[in-house]
Amino acid sequence: MNGLLLVAQREVRTRIRTKSFLISLAISAILVAALAFLPKALGGDGTFDVGVVGPAPAPVTQLSYSRYPDEAAARKAVIGGDVDAALIGGDRVIANGELDQRLGLILESVHRDEQIRAAGVTVTPLRVESVGADARYQGVRTGIATLLVMVLFFLFIYSSMYVAMGVVEEKGSRIVEILLTSVRPWQLLGGKIVGLGVLGLVNLAVVVAAGLAASAATGFAADLPPGMGGIVVSALVWFVLGYAFFAVLAATFGSLVSRQEELNTVLTPMTTLMMLTYVTAYFAAVQPTGTVARVLSLVPPFSSMVMPVRTAATGVPLGEILIAVALMIVAVVGVLLFASRVYQRAVLRTGARVRLGEVLR
Amino acid sequence: MLEIDGLRKRYGDKTALDGVGFTVRPGEMFGFVGANGAGKTTTMRIVMGVLGADSGEVRLDGRPLGYDDRRAFGYMPEERGLYQKMKVAEQIEYFGRLHGLAPAAARTATDALLERLGLVERRDDAVEALSLGNQQRVQLAVALVHEPTVLILDEPFSGLDPLAVDALAEVLKDRAAEGVPVIFSSHQLDLVERLCDSVGIISAGRMVAYGPVAELREREGRGVLRVVVRDAAPGWADGLPGRIAREGDRDVLLCEEGDDQAVLRTAMGAGTVEHFGRRQPTLTEIFREAVA
Repeated sequence: MNGLLLVAQREVRTRIRTKSFLISLAISAILVAALAFLPKALGGDGTFDVGVVGPAPAPVTQLSYSRYPDEAAARKAVIGGDVDAALIGGDRVIANGELDQRLGLILESVHRDEQIRAAGVTVTPLRVESVGADARYQGVRTGIATLLVMVLFFLFIYSSMYVAMGVVEEKGSRIVEILLTSVRPWQLLGGKIVGLGVLGLVNLAVVVAAGLAASAATGFAADLPPGMGGIVVSALVWFVLGYAFFAVLAATFGSLVSRQEELNTVLTPMTTLMMLTYVTAYFAAVQPTGTVARVLSLVPPFSSMVMPVRTAATGVPLGEILIAVALMIVAVVGVLLFASRVYQRAVLRTGARVRLGEVLR
Repeated sequence: MLEIDGLRKRYGDKTALDGVGFTVRPGEMFGFVGANGAGKTTTMRIVMGVLGADSGEVRLDGRPLGYDDRRAFGYMPEERGLYQKMKVAEQIEYFGRLHGLAPAAARTATDALLERLGLVERRDDAVEALSLGNQQRVQLAVALVHEPTVLILDEPFSGLDPLAVDALAEVLKDRAAEGVPVIFSSHQLDLVERLCDSVGIISAGRMVAYGPVAELREREGRGVLRVVVRDAAPGWADGLPGRIAREGDRDVLLCEEGDDQAVLRTAMGAGTVEHFGRRQPTLTEIFREAVA
């Protein structure tokens, strides 16, 4: 175990100091934070600035008032774009050109309320009751699920690539000969996967934190669905499982070649599988209740991305989640057994690419 | 004591090792020589467990070698391997830790080796920034950092300048003096002759000559007599068996048979005898003969 931890520690220490790691970390955090700011930037902040001369109406959430001493000053503000419109004496509106339709409705309603209140009548607002499923958060949940698909895919592919590149680096430079006389193959491979996995987890945590912090800063957090904690935990758990699966595969295929240039070719089966998983997960984000999403969220390795996406997009019964996790663990153990056969035999056979058949015999 | 016994290894229908065996005692420096492809590297890789033998055994103090024994060995493979982007001191320390040293011990051992190998100023440089000779020193440090119980070095001297060779030779002698069996392979036979207590010559997967250097030279010399005479008249050695060659104003006579005392008397009568003795072949000559 000690050997594994030493190897893991080295991976973390060397990778965390590289510029590329820090840059990709910063970029992914900024991207996610920017996505959280996006609705606000595109839709404005949803409130209107209204200049007021004379008596001010009762405050409403969509309007922010600013006082002006006289009509001339208010006109100037409207023309200068400081305010969207101005309310003069409580019964007249000045706009620059045509009045915004929504603003007009709001002002009309405010004006009406004022008059009703002045007449001493109280109006109770309408109560709204939904008879269908709670669809209030559907848009947001789909958004989060789509984002999660991209983040998970990005993390899976780049963490697994680092594992494969590390394996080839050690094989190509023959340092593996010295390493394997001081640690066992499973310690070397396990340490590499654990170390780079920790970095992937750090990256995921930073991305999630950046997203949540940005939503809190923009007030978008109020729109987040309940059970966000569950979505985050599910993303982390599925990252660990999916990463374990893909990283072990990447290391196994990586051990067949001695040069980085050959890596892409030899990793094709794994990247194809990853792309398929990505595509199905993307569909699941859009149609989380469809049959395809339900079935593939149980089947490894698709479940590693489809299940967290489904969890984010809609409610999933706990039983299904547990079945999916159990099946995924079985799959991870399966690739570990495959890896232990291949890696140990292939990694010391430097030179030409080793065929899978040769080491599996 | 490290015993290598009857190693055999085939690759397909090519025989790489055909019963290689030798013994290295504690504190003994063993030079392993042979042409390219003769089986040196294969033997060393089998000793280190990097490669499996088809048959045969490697024993340490009478017991078959296990993983934990090998973990305490120091190994320098033929193909050098270091993490190119890792810093020198950090790398040596890391390998010390992998071999089981505690953090403080690994640091102390690293500092001592850097000092010893003249790498103190390069300790925080990435390995890739070093010259090949210095990279080789780091490679050696990696093999030595954990105070190994046995040293297996494949071509440790190749590519080194004479000063680096001396520094490395000193380090190896010190380790041997501490009772560590040292095996190294080399093509620099003069170096092997100078450093080693015993040598093994391997050719096409078989040991063709093996033993203490002095013994080998004596045995392989086959008692050839070498006489050097100055200022002798031409034709003085006509009656003697052997070949004569002229080097400047000296005659060098090599006799493989005949009465040595009679030869000496004739030589003394002919001129000034500068040298008279049994000729010992150099390791290079023994090697040529053995491999031919």
